Amino acid sequence: MKISKKVVLIGHFGVGKSSLIRRFVENTFSDDYKVTIGVHIFKKSVAIPEEGKDVSLVIWDLEGNDDIRDTRTSYLLGTSAYIYVFDVTRPATYNTIGSDIEYLKQHSDKTPIRIVGNKEDLLTKEQIKDLNGEIEPLIDFFTSAKTGNKVDELFSKLAMELI
Amino acid sequence: MTEQEKLDILKNILLRDEREYAEEISRKIKVLEETINKQNQLSLKVDPIIDQKLEEFVKEMPKTLGPTITEALKAEIENSKDAVVEALFPIIGKMIKRYVQHEMQILSEKINSQVSNTFSFKSLRRKAKAKKTGVSEGELIIQEQIKPVVEQLMVINKGSGIIISEYTRTKNIDEDMVAGMLTAIKSFAEDAFEKEDIELQYIEYESYHVHLQNFSSYYIAVVISGSYNVIFKGELEDKLLNFAQNVINKEDLNDTSKLNEKLKLYFENENI
Repeated sequence: MKISKKVVLIGHFGVGKSSLIRRFVENTFSDDYKVTIGVHIFKKSVAIPEEGKDVSLVIWDLEGNDDIRDTRTSYLLGTSAYIYVFDVTRPATYNTIGSDIEYLKQHSDKTPIRIVGNKEDLLTKEQIKDLNGEIEPLIDFFTSAKTGNKVDELFSKLAMELI
Repeated sequence: MTEQEKLDILKNILLRDEREYAEEISRKIKVLEETINKQNQLSLKVDPIIDQKLEEFVKEMPKTLGPTITEALKAEIENSKDAVVEALFPIIGKMIKRYVQHEMQILSEKINSQVSNTFSFKSLRRKAKAKKTGVSEGELIIQEQIKPVVEQLMVINKGSGIIISEYTRTKNIDEDMVAGMLTAIKSFAEDAFEKEDIELQYIEYESYHVHLQNFSSYYIAVVISGSYNVIFKGELEDKLLNFAQNVINKEDLNDTSKLNEKLKLYFENENI
């Protein structure tokens, strides 16, 4: 039986949502920043050998918003999991993280949310450690779409949880 | 023997080799002159060399000159787009015109054969249909020629855009991507009008028509090729409503394989 799950990436402008998806789906990266308008939809099948199943992740790359409440709520309907992405080098992208996560939970309490600090390659290990202690709630992954660090792991673990 | 005669004999003995050598050279020059001056003979010698060089040039040309020529052509086309369009327009225009004329001729022949068959049962039925629906008989004949065909049918979750079930005649699209895209477009259009109970019902994409029929928790997207018209739309709506009311049940929405089977059975021999 075919399993398809909708995963939504959400976050501020320029945090690297599209880059993360491109790294995962196409294994490519570009320094050219192209703003996402509306929504862009991608798909990738993830094999779960332990279960002997394939999960088709239909990934919705939503346009960045300074205020998450401006996101079209219809785009969030039927979401199986959220990935909230922020830029580890720009505090403005994670200052409102607590209220943003609350907002998503109000929409669908049971939907898993993964919090991801992207562009980790631009910080030292100490800086990452400090940031991890500073931000509440806890960060699930520190990723780099540029180097590919932890990107596959993020999506693969999520796919496994969604079965 | 005089002194002069003795000298000649001596010269003859001493210079014999040189004379023979000079005679040999003279003979060779004569042959060479003949070869150069007579085209046929020159051709025999030179042609194989030219052929070999030409062959090498043809082999090497794409590698050495190819990129330069491509770049030059690109630049030329880029700089003189209008001129290119101007030059190509009459040719393409003529081709399209010829194609349309050919297709129209075929259509015309088919219509003529149908009209001439005035008293057939099909014709009488068409006449009755024309009277009933208000659509002219001619239009009905044309519609018969470019019949709409259901290419693909997708049952899609209204919120997530995830495909619950699908039936396709030709597997040429990524149904997950299309379903997501349709749902995003639907959401966007419905949000944009800011009115409740407004739902996107139709999208046209190149030669395909996408009919969207909304139900409570899902919608059905039908990809149609050919002529999509009011009559076909009505029949399709009825068929989909009947399918939703009498064939699909709640359990089916959670069992893709079961619903796939039902979709196939219901629409495989569809003749809407």
